[in-house]
Amino acid sequence: MSVAFSYLYDGTLEGLLSAVFTAFQRRECPEDIVTEAGLQESLFVSYEPLSTDLEQAERVQAGIVNKLGPANYDNVKRVFLSDDQRKGGIILRYLQYTLRQGPHSCTHLANPVVHDFEEVLSVVSKEAHYMLQFVRFAQLEGGVFFSRIEPKASVVPLIMDHFAERFNVQPFMIHDARHQLTGVFDTQKWWLLDARELQLPEQTSSEDEFQSLWQCFFDTVAIQERRNPTCQRNFMPKRFWGNMCEQIPAQLRHRRPQTTTPTQAARQLLPA
Amino acid sequence: MELLDKLAILSDAAKYDVACTSCGVDRQAVKGQLGATTAAGICHAFSADGRCVTLLKVLLSNACAYDCAYCVNRRGNDVPRATFTARELAELTIGFYRRNYIEGLFLSSGVLRNPDYTTEQMCEAIRILRDEYGFRGYIHAKAVPGTSEELLVRLGVLVDRMSLNIEFPSETSLKALAPQKAKEGIVRPMGFIRDGIKANYQDKRLSTVRRTRFVPAGQSTQMIIGASPETDHHILKLSAGLYQKFELARVFFSAYIPVNRDPLLPALSEAPLLREHRLYQADWLMRFYQFDVDEIIDAEHPMLDPLIDPKCGWALNHIDQFPAEINKVPYEMLLRIPGVGVRGAKRIAMARRERRLRFEDLKRLNITLKRAKYFITCNGAFAEGVLFDPVGIYNQLVADARGRRRKGVLDGQLSLFAEPEADMGAWGQAANVSPTWSAQALAAAGKSAVVPPEVAAQGARLLAAS
Repeated sequence: MSVAFSYLYDGTLEGLLSAVFTAFQRRECPEDIVTEAGLQESLFVSYEPLSTDLEQAERVQAGIVNKLGPANYDNVKRVFLSDDQRKGGIILRYLQYTLRQGPHSCTHLANPVVHDFEEVLSVVSKEAHYMLQFVRFAQLEGGVFFSRIEPKASVVPLIMDHFAERFNVQPFMIHDARHQLTGVFDTQKWWLLDARELQLPEQTSSEDEFQSLWQCFFDTVAIQERRNPTCQRNFMPKRFWGNMCEQIPAQLRHRRPQTTTPTQAARQLLPA
Repeated sequence: MELLDKLAILSDAAKYDVACTSCGVDRQAVKGQLGATTAAGICHAFSADGRCVTLLKVLLSNACAYDCAYCVNRRGNDVPRATFTARELAELTIGFYRRNYIEGLFLSSGVLRNPDYTTEQMCEAIRILRDEYGFRGYIHAKAVPGTSEELLVRLGVLVDRMSLNIEFPSETSLKALAPQKAKEGIVRPMGFIRDGIKANYQDKRLSTVRRTRFVPAGQSTQMIIGASPETDHHILKLSAGLYQKFELARVFFSAYIPVNRDPLLPALSEAPLLREHRLYQADWLMRFYQFDVDEIIDAEHPMLDPLIDPKCGWALNHIDQFPAEINKVPYEMLLRIPGVGVRGAKRIAMARRERRLRFEDLKRLNITLKRAKYFITCNGAFAEGVLFDPVGIYNQLVADARGRRRKGVLDGQLSLFAEPEADMGAWGQAANVSPTWSAQALAAAGKSAVVPPEVAAQGARLLAAS
């Protein structure tokens, strides 16, 4: 084969898995598997659009689960949720390597193919964990709890189970503004909504009160003598702050406590 | 008083307590009830001091009958006081939890009247949260020293973690600085909780259906560092003993931050944050890296080196065990290489089954070579430019750490421009931390060139004056 070529798929997981199927079936090694949107035309690469075949996708899925275990299929799904343009090629090369070598090869971390896969996987997994930490809900009129997020990967499907379990007594929505994807939970089951624009009711009247209380707690709990903004940003990168109510600047807050705190009172007694 | 003001007072009064972890117990969600816990815990925010916020950390009341010298809530202090009602506390916890602000509640309290009365009030507040609100999130409660065993059982089945603060690393210091607390009152309940966890003590007044595990996430403790004269050696021996004897989940250290004026307390110019950081590093070596306390520190050198981390210190003192050949040494030895963490060691052990690892492979495994490169070989060869000479390595490590501090890129929770604090070997010195000390130490380590001239000048003046 002299000319480099890539597959085009429709952007769905099933589409990607059918493309993987095609590559295995034809014993081909495409440069990459890309979507129409992520296409960067190159003079030296030809593109072949592939159609999505659910049956082929299911066979690939079954193959991964049988040969590499369900946890590895889960990892493939996670990498698929990444925003990385290279993910199609990365998944293909990973599957070509591991399906041939067997399940132990998933731990060949120094292998470039496995390494690329693991790297993207860790970005997605970290992003999902950041969401478990930093999602902030606000209660809307009607009782729904709403959260807006802007993650680096489309992780809403990965975090819905977590919230649906612990918050099973409250309906909630998590709106990913970057990927236009909304997870909805109605206290029975959750589903995904492709929503460009949301019509939302106002926040409840008690919402401001809870946010003020939380802001007050967040400010007070820091110890002045230990101030360390670098450490704070390392653990909680600034890109999340826009959607976290405790990070609103002091002058924009609804209400602040009137009292002096014990530390402030005691400090006045200390020698300068 | 408004709830907002109460919260400001009672969270401020609680913030000097270190423990803010929500780990140690996996509790599945139940349909129709709010909350669940995960074994690893989840941090929901990081406050301006870089500490994690995972629980709503408050006192039930800061009206305290005790007069501990170091504590902001001591009876003798003229500070605002407040007390939550059980209902207020429950509403606050639930409201925060529903918004994903927190994993649960950390409840401590000043001593109201006496330990038993205080614990009863805490039990009632937590019971309301568990029973009436069906809350299944994490709860950490402080046990007040001197509480009766019956009440400890009642509290223990309601919460996930319990802790008693030993406050100071020695009985002498405890007596001097916390006159109303006694070692017996702390150690006996600790032993009781340990036995309770093993035997799964139950509150017999509850029906068998409603019984839950006793303190499922284990117990922890904390002590204040730098307000009393104990050495690092003493502190680490003590915490090793606590892990062993009382099977604690964690021992926390808290750098002393002066909030009160008291003749018994030292006048530190700044909190000993670096010392606290080194102690935590040593603690990690014991808990996750299979180090024995006697390997980390000995009575002859009772203080950890402030300039390099204890693992580097150990490696330099046992240089005969290095260099470690990455492709050969057992996992236990991988764990002992400075700069290689538990994850890193596991990744190396996995990856070397496939191929002989080279330095570029280590980078692919996300192993930071900054410190590790001095102590390892790949296929028999050192990394480029590495001279295997303990003195040279020491100087290089010190210089690297100093460069990081300059840039403000710091590991752990050091303050931005924190200098290494004084040699705490002698009590008198600890009280007089001078910024020139680090300059002297660096000069001794052969790095005088990096000492800022104004600091050196000040040091010279002080030396001349003495």
